[in-house]
Amino acid sequence: MKKMLSLLLASALTVSMLAGCGGGNDAPAADNADSEGEGGKVYKVCNLVNGNLGDKSFFDSAEAGLQELKAAGRIEYDKAIEMGGTTEDEVKWEGMLEEVSASGEYDLIIVGTYQMPEYLKNVSENYPDQKYLIYDDTTYVLPNVVNVNYKQNDLGYLVGTFAAAMTTETGVEGINEDAVVGFVGGVDSPVINDFLYGFLLGAQAVNPDIKVDTRYTNSYVDPAKGKELAESMINDNNCDIIWGVAGNSGNGAVEAAMETGKAYFIGVDSDQEITLPAEQAAITLTSGLKNIDKSLVWIFDEWDAGREHWGEHILLGMKENGIGIVTDKNYDKMVPDSVKEKVDAAIEAVANGDVVVPTAIGDESNAVVELRESMKP
Amino acid sequence: MFDQLISMVFTTSFGYSIIRITSPILFAALAAVVAEKAGVSNIGLEGIMGISALFGVLFAYWTNNWLVGALGALVVGAFLGLIMGFFALKLKTDIILAGIAVNLMGGGGTIFLLYLFTGLKGNTASLTTPAMLTPRINIPLIQDIPVLGPIFSGHSILTYVAFLLVFVVWVLLYKTATGLQIRAVGENPNAADSVGVSVLKIQYIALAISGALSGLGGAYMSMYYSQSWNTGIIAGRGFIALAAQAMGQGEPVGAMLSSLLFGFASALGNKMEGMPGFSSYLVAAIPYAVTIIGLVLYAAATIKRIKKTRK
Repeated sequence: MKKMLSLLLASALTVSMLAGCGGGNDAPAADNADSEGEGGKVYKVCNLVNGNLGDKSFFDSAEAGLQELKAAGRIEYDKAIEMGGTTEDEVKWEGMLEEVSASGEYDLIIVGTYQMPEYLKNVSENYPDQKYLIYDDTTYVLPNVVNVNYKQNDLGYLVGTFAAAMTTETGVEGINEDAVVGFVGGVDSPVINDFLYGFLLGAQAVNPDIKVDTRYTNSYVDPAKGKELAESMINDNNCDIIWGVAGNSGNGAVEAAMETGKAYFIGVDSDQEITLPAEQAAITLTSGLKNIDKSLVWIFDEWDAGREHWGEHILLGMKENGIGIVTDKNYDKMVPDSVKEKVDAAIEAVANGDVVVPTAIGDESNAVVELRESMKP
Repeated sequence: MFDQLISMVFTTSFGYSIIRITSPILFAALAAVVAEKAGVSNIGLEGIMGISALFGVLFAYWTNNWLVGALGALVVGAFLGLIMGFFALKLKTDIILAGIAVNLMGGGGTIFLLYLFTGLKGNTASLTTPAMLTPRINIPLIQDIPVLGPIFSGHSILTYVAFLLVFVVWVLLYKTATGLQIRAVGENPNAADSVGVSVLKIQYIALAISGALSGLGGAYMSMYYSQSWNTGIIAGRGFIALAAQAMGQGEPVGAMLSSLLFGFASALGNKMEGMPGFSSYLVAAIPYAVTIIGLVLYAAATIKRIKKTRK
């Protein structure tokens, strides 16, 4: 059945292409009209995962978005092709990408993460008519590829607003009266500082006198270092809320918060309350999210509306639902309404453009560094 | 600015932090000491620590018992030491190459093993239960002493094991027959051979001990310091330990002192990170800068002593 359908679609495509050359007066034209009648073309989509589903992070999010589109009848899609994430698997990635590109079956091939751009560049150049999408990567601009990225500065602003509003809520157990929050970053680099920029500004918008203790682990895989830094923040500067933006190293901060019993943690990228062990999840108030799922839906919305973005870098913010923060679970249970109101207001302000958060990427003036230093306790 | 730094340094949490940072380095530095005494350079410490750290978590997860995990890490470490020995001593590969191979295996191979055994990739955070973590020990009496209590009490049981091992390794090297043989093999294998000491056997033993010690260091990393395993978790501590061994003149107590110096410098760097005006790049270099200064001072002192004896 599926094969039949794909054959039909493929032939429809070929025929419509031929029709463009002035040749066709065949039946499939009616076919096209039929699917357009349901509110747009049904695209055949391939999702290559350079890892495995079940990561409770980007890959699962992408899959969820595609399943949503499938359920809505907007795409023809089976399930992600899991290529595996180990070094041993990595050798297969380019071959697999080549294979699905050569098949010519798909309207769109989706890949993601920083590990894929090299392979995508190599393969996409050989198939100029094939369309590709890569999420969470900005390495190359390629004519038949759309890069989808997420405004981490907007994300930082929301988290900063929340942290600053929350840090003086002494009614919540473990929160002290000092207006000091912490930021454990990976490396003092534009991408991490983009998160930080928003975080600092969001915090400042809530409380102009707030202090933000910013430290970098200089490694994304050293949780022990993240733990040491966070413990110093908690013990020396009375930080009671810490945002970890440092991969595995950031998770050291939640351990420090747990062991000292004097602080809460905020996760990043995906909902860390789901991935952390129970005791650590219990003190994770929320997570700043990059919504891969929503961003894929957005791209198809655009495509249906006739706006194509091949060869572009798309940056999605609050308005497009490309980012967000977790508001169920702990946030729902533990956060006072007054704080939620401030966060909701910030979400709205960022979404409708009342607040424009500057970015640290490509910023030569070093404003974020000056702001960071001025806000240290 | 300096008032702020001083007020941070003169806290019990600073002292506590030094000991916690020092412990994993100390395990590995002792491992380097034992191997080096037997004339084999074990540069695979980093890899052995990483692999043992993973197996420590896995054993602890399978049995829900930290002790099994820690002992498992020790055994896996010793086993890896023996494998290095097999390649270097039996198959006559260069020991440095064998060490590099183990380090590489600690990088890529561990993710493969993790995926094989658990289906996870990246880290084991979702497996962790409190029973899998090595317990903290509050030392009676000492814990009630002001200042000293919060610094020296309440560490992981493995921390106390590490400092105890300094003494044990010293006894092993200087007060036992095996220790004598290890030193003899290290200083002059031919002479040792001529009096009937099996050089191979002694080097195997030394590498196994060295591996076992690094294994405990790995267990400390993944079952206490960080509460789960992830790729690259050792983050260079195995290499720093090699420096600590060299700086400590290959002696257990010397290695401990240089590990402590490194721990002090790291803890200081961590505090400075939080203060205005310090670039994180500059701060990250502090432990290494301190190590170099330490080596220079030591070399200067040695030269002075030699000159004195010549006179």
